Amino acid sequence: MNRRNFIKHTATAATVIGGHPLYADHTNPMVQALMEMMYNTDRVLIIIQQNGGNDGLNTIFPLDQYDNLKAARSNMLMPATSILKLTDKTGIHPAMEGVYNLFKDGKAGVVQSVGYPSFNYSHFRATDIWLTGSDADEYLDSGWAGRYLNYEYPNYPVGFPNTTMPDPLAIRVGESVGLGLQMMGVNMGISINSASDPLDLTGSIFKDPATNNYVGKELSYLREVQRQTDKFGDVIVAAYSKSATKSTKYPANSLANQLKIVARLIAGGLKTRIYWVSLGGFDTHSNQVDVSDYTKGTHANLLKSLSDNITAFMDDTKLMGLEDRIAGFSFSEFGRRIKSNASQGTDHGSAIPVIYFGKNINSQVIGSNPVIPSTVSTGSNLPMLYDFRSIYGSFLNQWFCVPQTDVDKLLHDKFQNLPILKTTNCLSTATHDDNVNSGKAVIKIYPNPFVDRATLEYESDGGMLRIQILNNLGSVIKSMVNREVAKGKYTIDIDLEGQSNGIYYIRWENGPLSQVKPMVKVK
Amino acid sequence: MVKPYTGSFGKPELMHLLRRTLFGVSPSDLKFFEGKSLNEVVDYLLDIPTSPPSPPIRAYQGKALTTFDSGVPFGETWVNTRPLDTEQSPNGARRASYKQWWLQLMSGQNRNLREKMVLFWHNHLVTDTNDTVDVPALAYRYNVLLRSNCTGNFRKLMYDITIDGAMLRYLNGERNTASAPDENYGRELQELFCIGKGPESKYTEEDVKAAARVLTGWTILYNDNWNILFRPNRHDAKDKQFSSFYGNKIIKGDPSATGGANEINELLNMIFANPETAKFIARKFFTFFVYYDINKDVESNLILPLADVFTSSNFEIKPLLKALFTSELFFKSEYRGAMIKSPADYTIGMTRQMEIAWPAEPLAFEARYFFASQLYNYINAQGQEIGDPPNVAGWPAYYQTPSFYEIWVDTATYPPRLTLNDALVVKNLNTGNANSTNWVNAESKSKIFKIDPISFVSKLSDASNPNQLIDDLVFYFYGVSISKSIKESLKLTFLLRGQSTDYYWTDAYNNYINNPTNPNSEGRQVPKQLQDLIAYMFSAAEYHLH
Repeated sequence: MNRRNFIKHTATAATVIGGHPLYADHTNPMVQALMEMMYNTDRVLIIIQQNGGNDGLNTIFPLDQYDNLKAARSNMLMPATSILKLTDKTGIHPAMEGVYNLFKDGKAGVVQSVGYPSFNYSHFRATDIWLTGSDADEYLDSGWAGRYLNYEYPNYPVGFPNTTMPDPLAIRVGESVGLGLQMMGVNMGISINSASDPLDLTGSIFKDPATNNYVGKELSYLREVQRQTDKFGDVIVAAYSKSATKSTKYPANSLANQLKIVARLIAGGLKTRIYWVSLGGFDTHSNQVDVSDYTKGTHANLLKSLSDNITAFMDDTKLMGLEDRIAGFSFSEFGRRIKSNASQGTDHGSAIPVIYFGKNINSQVIGSNPVIPSTVSTGSNLPMLYDFRSIYGSFLNQWFCVPQTDVDKLLHDKFQNLPILKTTNCLSTATHDDNVNSGKAVIKIYPNPFVDRATLEYESDGGMLRIQILNNLGSVIKSMVNREVAKGKYTIDIDLEGQSNGIYYIRWENGPLSQVKPMVKVK
Repeated sequence: MVKPYTGSFGKPELMHLLRRTLFGVSPSDLKFFEGKSLNEVVDYLLDIPTSPPSPPIRAYQGKALTTFDSGVPFGETWVNTRPLDTEQSPNGARRASYKQWWLQLMSGQNRNLREKMVLFWHNHLVTDTNDTVDVPALAYRYNVLLRSNCTGNFRKLMYDITIDGAMLRYLNGERNTASAPDENYGRELQELFCIGKGPESKYTEEDVKAAARVLTGWTILYNDNWNILFRPNRHDAKDKQFSSFYGNKIIKGDPSATGGANEINELLNMIFANPETAKFIARKFFTFFVYYDINKDVESNLILPLADVFTSSNFEIKPLLKALFTSELFFKSEYRGAMIKSPADYTIGMTRQMEIAWPAEPLAFEARYFFASQLYNYINAQGQEIGDPPNVAGWPAYYQTPSFYEIWVDTATYPPRLTLNDALVVKNLNTGNANSTNWVNAESKSKIFKIDPISFVSKLSDASNPNQLIDDLVFYFYGVSISKSIKESLKLTFLLRGQSTDYYWTDAYNNYINNPTNPNSEGRQVPKQLQDLIAYMFSAAEYHLH
């Protein structure tokens, strides 16, 4: 019996928590609160990937460098008066009026000149560096977000979904899962289609309609089996169907379709931590701006789409009452060259500004403007001010409450923690422990709840084994095993006769594995 | 007469024919047959050697050479060696060896119909390996019987199988005596092997009893290399009367030493004279090679003409198959890609289609048997235990209405297909590191069995062109058409990875091919990109059809 069920099925069992007799009835608000505390991490991270390499200098403008920038980009830089001022020294493209307004409302911010030492100018490689969080000369086979999810849910995918995590850990909308959400070849998230038909939500790229013949008959059959075996298919369709898009501000494009789905899935109750969406077309080698009006053109349209979509998504989630739970950022694999080329475009460059958003962020421009030299060559590039992994680490630490020492491990080094989010009240590690313990079951306690005695069953791969019983305050009240054991299955009796009723924890530690399970003593 | 196919015989038609007749179609297979006419291809496929391959050998893992099946030297065959009574029974290890041997023959098949036909006959003339037969040498001989007669004469095959050791055990023929007749084989001979249960199949219970009496007297000499012996003293030498369905035929009792053989011949002649036999076998071929829906059109325009071909050739199998594979109906567009792959087709087909290299050194046989055991387990997990069909009727996918092939795939057997994809595309089968103590021969250490995506795409027409590459992969992987927009998505997602110009892939691929040991940062990602692409394409529902 899992924990949720024990609450549901033991309505007559009573226990005492904090001096109050507590009947284990799932409708009891106190029990619910307790359960929510144990299970819910309601914070969601939205990652927007801008494919192609965004021209940061045509997105966020160093107003105090305008003349030098004009000299370098005479065939495409818009007039200073057209630029919207975020601060006295830093401006934003007028196509991003939406983000500008969010900034003024305290809901958006910018980190200047994000990158890494010794840039790579290949789309593929630079993307992989961003997705894995590797050094420029390091090849990792796991994504930074994949490593985080593995840290949070080390047993995934064995034993998932479960009551602690009934939903996908992460969802990529519209594309295959990708390296960012992988951990050693395992997809830590799932991908869903961006099509608006909810029945197609969980499908694959392969969605040719089944024809009305033998082939179509068999194809439909196979797809139905795929649907039935898709662990998360039903929960996604159910969550999606529970709510409707509330904002009218979305533009009509692919990113909007992706974000609408994300908002509805969050509103529908998914506990999914990370949503990853994307917008392509930033590889603006030529005709980046309109020759007659440098505020317009291809790049302006892309920025407008990005900005309008972020604005609409913030509006949507606000109307859904979810605003407190949302934070996100957008990134691109690299910026573009300082100097524009002759075809009114820009070639592959280096550092880029990162835009972040959410109700709980610090609305500010982090970092000083990049310095534009008075004369630049075609090869001139912006140096980095902040390492891109500082963005990841800051969100992990400040938004997902990962202790800094663990953040350092996940990112393979220490990176600056930037003040991106408002001081947040990170929950106790109980939630994390619960996640870590979810999935593959190596210890079982039964019966649970119990009267005086219970049995602990566990499977050991051998080695040093420790079993302790902790009380509700986290103090060890009993040490049961502390010795080397051989590989095998074991059972051990737990006797808490004479102890007061309430919640206890079994802490089980064996080699690299460690699990904590709650148990409830009742009269 | 079977209406022959007269349309054009291009690559799509060739692929359809090869998909149904081989386990998987590789680029080399296609290249080999391309340009040949339909007749030439079918003739080639039907040109099958009758000599058996070399028998299974001792490559048991983790068994002491001196105390376990010690009468069989390492690397030598066990098929004629009686296990020593003083040792633990080696039958489990021998049965596994037999199945691993068979699996290697399937995956390593030549470009002819033999392996598909052996599996066809195994499904039609069922015996098991593990439960009833339980004498590995007999399971092996049964297999040799099927393979040496697989496209020969059906009447001869039926005679041989009737007195085959495995069959005598499986359907109790060895216990069928004059004093205690056992009707098991006499019944299945008619119901499942020859006459079938078509609407005009009207044999009677009395016919079953009479056939059983004809078949009395056959035994297995367990102490004499499991040879088969007819014992006249156990044979029912009285006359056997059959029903009007068989023209009230009487088979005269024959008490002579050759009486058993003589009476079986008479029995088979009687059964084969009945038109149901030819029709029944034609339907079985259609269901195995084309599709399961035998509607009126198929029955009258293909089954009946095929049955005529079969009868008029005195039950030679090749003319029937040739007529089937060159028929208009075989190439009808609605059948192309409409067959759900069996677990054997899926798994073995993947190994052949992707041209996965087996360890080639002669002394690496332990590694080969080990990989075969793993593949066998993958097929088993998908719901097809080769060598051990669920019962005498064979696998339900070939007879159970209305679902047929769909029975292969359900919520329990679909996930193991994905596990196989993962094992062969992303991970690998391997024999462990050089220090492994599992192998007697050093040649079997550090061997890997997996798909090599670079090697595979290099056999396609132009892997550096992302559009051509996707087109070619779609052509090889799917028996059904895939829309342009989906091909575009595949290209964009896996080859261009969100970038918009084709030359990003071309540059990366060429860089890797020209500097495989020291590619630049883009080239370096090429094998992983191809691996992800192939894994993804294998996960499509379409991949389960052929």
